Amino acid sequence: MNTLLRLPGLVHLALAAAALGLVARPGLRAEDAVGMVLIPAGVYEPILRGQDEPAKVPVAPFLLDVRPVTNAEFLAFVQANPKWRRSKVGPLFADPGYLSHWAGDLELGPRAPADAPVVRVSWFAARAYAAAQGKRLPTTAEWERAAAVGFTQEKGTDEPAYRQAALGWLARPSPATLPPAGRGRPNLHGARDLLDLVWEWVDDFNTAMTTGESRGDTGLERMQFCGAGAAGARDLTNYPAFMRAGMRSSLLARYVVPNLGFRCAQLP
Amino acid sequence: MKSKLVSLVLLAGGVLGALGAAESAPAPCCDPAKPAAAACCAPEKPAATLAPCCVEEKPDKPLTDRSLYQHDAVWTSDAGRPVKLASLRGQPVIVAMFFASCEYACPVLVKDVQRARDLLAPEVRAKTKVLLVTFDTARDTPPALRAFRERFELDENWVLLRGADTAVQDLAMLLGVKYKLDARGQYSHSNLMTVLNHEGEIAHQHAGLMGDVSEVAKKIAGLKSGI
Repeated sequence: MNTLLRLPGLVHLALAAAALGLVARPGLRAEDAVGMVLIPAGVYEPILRGQDEPAKVPVAPFLLDVRPVTNAEFLAFVQANPKWRRSKVGPLFADPGYLSHWAGDLELGPRAPADAPVVRVSWFAARAYAAAQGKRLPTTAEWERAAAVGFTQEKGTDEPAYRQAALGWLARPSPATLPPAGRGRPNLHGARDLLDLVWEWVDDFNTAMTTGESRGDTGLERMQFCGAGAAGARDLTNYPAFMRAGMRSSLLARYVVPNLGFRCAQLP
Repeated sequence: MKSKLVSLVLLAGGVLGALGAAESAPAPCCDPAKPAAAACCAPEKPAATLAPCCVEEKPDKPLTDRSLYQHDAVWTSDAGRPVKLASLRGQPVIVAMFFASCEYACPVLVKDVQRARDLLAPEVRAKTKVLLVTFDTARDTPPALRAFRERFELDENWVLLRGADTAVQDLAMLLGVKYKLDARGQYSHSNLMTVLNHEGEIAHQHAGLMGDVSEVAKKIAGLKSGI
């Protein structure tokens, strides 16, 4: 049996089964390490898209962590999974700066407060963390659908406070030591910190195309020039969504970034 | 990681046996009478001494920490046989991701790989494998991949694989390949040719179509067998 479980495909199956059996239910549960909120069915409107892509992509209901994963939570993960410790992770799966702001392999230190979002983690590490919780990373469509929600209404861009939160964060450099996660104002569905704490990994970040792709579609080509691209974007009030698309297109899965964290999702 | 991989290699025979893939020795993919499976076998060894599916080519030497062969998913070849990437260890490999119903880019990408191979000295070319892995987990069944092989007259040095969605995503992430299924059922994707050295480490990457592929050939010619 042990040999069977070493097969990745079967591991995924086992994790999926665990997810279904143990943690599949909507809403919050007290024993959850981090609460999840139900993001109801909605629509993702890609800020930039190919000529054949629909303007509106339906998104099924899903559960999303209320806030990004914290240093303390990620520490518990690497304690249980030694291969994801700073000293153990291979260069294929994380660049050398992986968790470099931690004081040690299993020590957070002053630059990584326990309740601050964990950053400098690769996509591989983020996905492994999510899988260990019986969860997964949200897709681009899910994440953007959740982040488009305002504080008091579905369409955040209609709300001055929403626009200010999103644009204000882009205007400020990230502090060297990040503030706690989970303190941001909740949006209409209860999710926090989507706009103004850290960038966040999504499962399919590598669907964001820049140049050198098979279809040289001008809308996508412009993504390598932020300002010029924004001029062609569909919704000029949603400059932050455009910036996120540009950020994703610049990433590789092994990259670690001082203000790039993640949160988890799962089906209700 | 390393120790787990070694044990994986050693256990692979048992795993495949448990899945019912290897009923008797030699395993199907080691059958010398089936040339399409040559890539997953070590041709210099007699088949009788090979373990099922031949994955333990160098069981005593762990993979390097930059080896893509740490990606240990079991893929399916166009001949319908189970294959691990690590079975390609010990020779240069050109890797590209594609899908068989591709209307434009993939045929050009295949031609680009062929052009790069044509630049190799015959003895190097004979030892260089080409690995094509499909994005299209739904439509690219082994018969669809076989049809692609026939259409482009790809010889036994070309290995065509399909895998689970997670395996495809992992490989794309490791190679830095972007891909996306569009509304018409076509995949937009990076056109990226990657050269792996004998250990499965990325030695060179060539982006774009119809470009100058001489650097790809030069890198392959310069690779030294480390094992």
